[in-house]
Amino acid sequence: MITTQNLTRRFGALTAVDSLDLHVDKGEVFGFLGPNGAGKTTTVRMLAALIAPTSGEATIAGNELGIHNRSIRRRVGVLTETPGLYRRLSAQDNLLFFARLYQIAEPMAQVERYLKLFDLWERRAAPAGSYSKGMRQKLAIARALLHEPEILFLDEPTAGLDPEAAKTVRDLIETLRSDERTIFLCTHNLDEADRLCDRVALFKTRLITTGRPQELREQMYGRRTVVHLANYRAGIENQVDLPFVKHIDVVDERLVVSLDDPEAENPALVKRLVELGADVQFVTELRVSLEDMYLDLMEANDESS
Amino acid sequence: MNRLRVLLLKEWRESMRNKMVLFGVIFLPVILVATSVYMITLGDGADDPVGQIILFNTSLMYFLLLPAIIPLAIAVYSIVGEKEQTTLEPLLATPISDLELFLGKALASVIPALVVNWISFGAFLGIIRLLVGSVPLQTLTAPWLASIFGLSPLLALFSVGITMIVSSRASDARAAYQFSSLAILPGIIPLVVYSSSKTLVDLRLIILEGGVLVVACVAVMYFAIRLFRREQILTRWK
Repeated sequence: MITTQNLTRRFGALTAVDSLDLHVDKGEVFGFLGPNGAGKTTTVRMLAALIAPTSGEATIAGNELGIHNRSIRRRVGVLTETPGLYRRLSAQDNLLFFARLYQIAEPMAQVERYLKLFDLWERRAAPAGSYSKGMRQKLAIARALLHEPEILFLDEPTAGLDPEAAKTVRDLIETLRSDERTIFLCTHNLDEADRLCDRVALFKTRLITTGRPQELREQMYGRRTVVHLANYRAGIENQVDLPFVKHIDVVDERLVVSLDDPEAENPALVKRLVELGADVQFVTELRVSLEDMYLDLMEANDESS
Repeated sequence: MNRLRVLLLKEWRESMRNKMVLFGVIFLPVILVATSVYMITLGDGADDPVGQIILFNTSLMYFLLLPAIIPLAIAVYSIVGEKEQTTLEPLLATPISDLELFLGKALASVIPALVVNWISFGAFLGIIRLLVGSVPLQTLTAPWLASIFGLSPLLALFSVGITMIVSSRASDARAAYQFSSLAILPGIIPLVVYSSSKTLVDLRLIILEGGVLVVACVAVMYFAIRLFRREQILTRWK
């Protein structure tokens, strides 16, 4: 659905996006993660045919960037960093304006559908300026969806929202996932990316890495099982003589065991610990947060550059 | 509905909800028409040729101010308002073309300015006729009609062009308004010069001013159109 090759954008001497190679499949929720000033918004602007790349190529929904820009803009929806609503106009007039710009066949019916879907119908006549932050964000997402785009670019959709409004927006994104829409999600919220995204890309001017969050964790840290013991006996870790155990750390009197295949190897591990006289309370998987992984990768990237 | 029309209707709907714009579009013409009527009726029958010249030149100047001031008010809030509300990017993300966007913004300001100016002129003549019993012949001469129907559109275009250029660089509506106010000068300077030399406006002046304005409009519009490209708006506008 989105393919880029060596996509580069410079502003004078500053390179905002450097040789970006990406591939995003249809129906995928793709997280684009990076610090402030990493070039995420510039990337979205290029992919939405708003600004031209300095060099490189991209195909968006089957349309070549730079050649079929108008067609690209018809096929993508963009939620910008700020909702960007006409504050003096009502919610309905805001959506109607965009529905007509997209030349939707029955604009009023489509506006009504989305206002109802996003639970804004009752307040449709109120000026957008009188809406709460969460309602404004919902209205902005509704606007980005009005023309039923194949690809939806969401730039920090939950930034600045209270937890309740942020959850509403996340639930909406979950709903959109089931519509087979491709969602390109720029976010700082790594927990959100972990929960919503099929794949993520870590980006800071250049692409650092890309993959499924779980795969990235495994690549970086391997898989680890945490065994909670009722009474930790010093040195028990040295007695676990199982060939598949790669390494055991003791953290707060818990055993952190590195394994290749925990699903298959955990039962034997627990059995051996019981044989050694340990009282096993819990067995859990150590899940490195996407945040930790992100920080480690960014640090490694900064050191290498 | 074509996109240009959609944009025009949106601009006008927004303007109708903006008190500053409404003041420019409704109250200013009312004040200027009332002042013109008062001046002409005051001078009616007076045996003072110089005073008459000044009164008629000043009245005409009002009808050359309106087409410059009204689009200024609309265009400033239309462009700086989009910036303040951060609505430009969502708008640019639609399939609207750069030209449609430019024309939409320009015509949304020029059309009401001309309509209001011509209605104001009609109202001015009608009220004078009611009060004095006849329309002064000086207001239906070739210089007057050429000014009202020929110069007005040029002054409105020039004003819009200047306002668009200034607004693209301004992040505050009041600052943009102040700088753009310079666009009203072409409408008043020649008339002030004529009035001070105690000469009634003639067709030669209107043709000369029209010619200068055509050149100025072409130059201003050229720069304004260049600024109204997606790339420019998103990366260069302040």
